[in-house]
Amino acid sequence: MSRWRNRLLSKVYTRFPALSERYGRRSGSFDDIPLPSLASPVRSLPEASVAVVTAGGVHLAEQAPFDMNDPEGDGSFRSVPRQTRQADLRITHDYYDHTAADEDVNCVLPLDRLEELSRAGVIGRVAPRHVGMMGHLTGAQLGRLVDRSTVEITRLLEEDGVDVVVAVPG
Amino acid sequence: MGLVARAIEAAGIPTVTLSVVRSMTEATPAPRNVLVRFRLGQVFGEPHNVAQQQAVLRAALDALGTIETPGGVVELPYRWRREEYPPPVGVRA
Repeated sequence: MSRWRNRLLSKVYTRFPALSERYGRRSGSFDDIPLPSLASPVRSLPEASVAVVTAGGVHLAEQAPFDMNDPEGDGSFRSVPRQTRQADLRITHDYYDHTAADEDVNCVLPLDRLEELSRAGVIGRVAPRHVGMMGHLTGAQLGRLVDRSTVEITRLLEEDGVDVVVAVPG
Repeated sequence: MGLVARAIEAAGIPTVTLSVVRSMTEATPAPRNVLVRFRLGQVFGEPHNVAQQQAVLRAALDALGTIETPGGVVELPYRWRREEYPPPVGVRA
């Protein structure tokens, strides 16, 4: 029953970015995964395969939506094939105002922009699969993300031979 | 988002992470961070604004080559609509 409240709050946060800054300071830091040293690129950008991981709650219409009833969030993820049409995507995420992304998913998952950069030779190619997930996790769901989803997401990217990942908040 | 990027980077795949909330980036920095002063949910810009979205995406990709220390931050100068974005590339006529 708190979904309407979260949706309303998300609109307020979007209108007033200073509130998000306060939220960020309050939420504290997460050090479950230490900051690693920087990986060296294997290929130059014009040859690299690029994938996007978005916390904007994007998934295929045919996939199960993210669970909005668990107050700890949903630490799972969905894989989104490269050439999915906007009409086949959904955004399930009550913690940010996704009106703009509902109109044009490139606001949080810029697959069309990547295709253009690939066509222009700025990047090598668009990876075959991308990842939709949620932010705003706590407790057991944050643990699920850290212990399971990050491992599975990394494996998916490795299987696809991804060279560069662009990570996007909601 | 920072944690997921850390895990991917630790596996050897270079990452660049966008953010619209500075305090969150400072609390849990990703390996490479690009701050843009846009709204939540519109990290790449307005719906259907191809030039703006490409500019942010290209700036993020450029940060792969310029950030040299873990947790480094690049702040983009873009001011939403009050900006001349370069013409987009690779757009089908």
